[in-house]
Amino acid sequence: MTRSKAPPGSFFDLAAAGAGAVDTPAAASETAAVPPCNPSVDALRERFPDGVLRNEVSAGDQDVVYVHPARLVEMLGWLHENPDQQYDHLADVTAVDHGGGRPIEVVYQLWSIPHRAALRVKCELPLDSLEIDTVTGIWVGANWLEREVYDLFGVHFTGHPDLRRILMPEGYAEGHPLRKDFPLRGRFSRAEQTRRALTQDPEDYYMPGEIGGRVPQLVAEDAGGDAEEEDDVD
Amino acid sequence: MLGSGSPAFLTTRLDFVVNWARRNSLWPMPFGTACCAIEMMASAASNFDLARFGMERMSFSPRQADVLICAGRVPYKLAPVLRRIWDQMMQPKWCISMGACASSGGVFDVYSMVQGIDTIVPVDVYIPGCPPRPEGLIYGLMMVQEKIRGESLANHADLRAEDPLAAGRPRADDREVTDLTGPFGNSTHQNRVSGLVATDAVGRSEDRLP
Repeated sequence: MTRSKAPPGSFFDLAAAGAGAVDTPAAASETAAVPPCNPSVDALRERFPDGVLRNEVSAGDQDVVYVHPARLVEMLGWLHENPDQQYDHLADVTAVDHGGGRPIEVVYQLWSIPHRAALRVKCELPLDSLEIDTVTGIWVGANWLEREVYDLFGVHFTGHPDLRRILMPEGYAEGHPLRKDFPLRGRFSRAEQTRRALTQDPEDYYMPGEIGGRVPQLVAEDAGGDAEEEDDVD
Repeated sequence: MLGSGSPAFLTTRLDFVVNWARRNSLWPMPFGTACCAIEMMASAASNFDLARFGMERMSFSPRQADVLICAGRVPYKLAPVLRRIWDQMMQPKWCISMGACASSGGVFDVYSMVQGIDTIVPVDVYIPGCPPRPEGLIYGLMMVQEKIRGESLANHADLRAEDPLAAGRPRADDREVTDLTGPFGNSTHQNRVSGLVATDAVGRSEDRLP
């Protein structure tokens, strides 16, 4: 598969040309008039014709694919496993709240180390059903990233092994701060915030395993490894 | 020698010796959370050499520290940690609030940030700046030294009394927190609730810029 990086200015050239020569799918929006720079977009559209809602090119050469939330894990898994794709690095999981009752976008920024290609996958979730499947089964590193999105936007990742707040305190009761309807100074008065902050025990933020219980467990699990080492010594 | 009425000669001499010892061996407890901590490190390094004034050793254990230097912004999640460190320090102890964020919240007038650590712990000296230069920190520490110079063992109980029940609680009561954290500066143009619902900022119209 040839993956040539788009030359500088190609975005403007193609936009000026109207991209009439490129066959864009009928479902694509106006912004998809620019042909994708990344061949993974077409491959994804071919493999999952009903999963890809639309695609666009952002900032010149960044391909964005909007996918159906129900097919997300399946499609990301395919992008991860397929030898022509191999998106083995999940660079970021984040979300965008555009406000005004518009759906919240969950953004997956992928990077393929073998192919040196970047792909941005977005899922639009309506405000009344902020639920999406976790991708921790594909990239283990998604664990804390999804916790952050849950903490700041209130998106629930079903199947997540440990969905807790990660940045705000565990007992934070004011909501999800990066939502557009969240007041800048929080919902409680400063006095209430101060009082609540000081009634927290700092050690409550961590599970017992995170404070100290985990290290001895690892040693105990390595008991089999110790036996191997003894064999090596022998 | 032991006069009556005015402070006795022996008492004042003892005060002088004790205060001299205290003010020339102030060990800082560095509580650095942001860029102010970089300036604090520069103050301790050879160019500015804080050790000249007796801050010989940054004490990373609160139990062997005399002055808490809170350098940087403190989020609410860190507030109980700051308070616990202050409670762990032994008397006599002093506190310096270094920089705009520690003193007032600075530009971070947001949901997550303590609006001045004086709502959490008592503060002796506030150092303005964003961040203050090392000279500023040294000046602040010398102000602490001046404060110590004026102390007397005669009113030691007043100066150094601590209510055990106050441990782990905010220093300021609700009303004082409201006064200390009221909107000011550019933040008067913001509202507590987005969408122009009536807020504290609107209710306190005298705080708003024209």
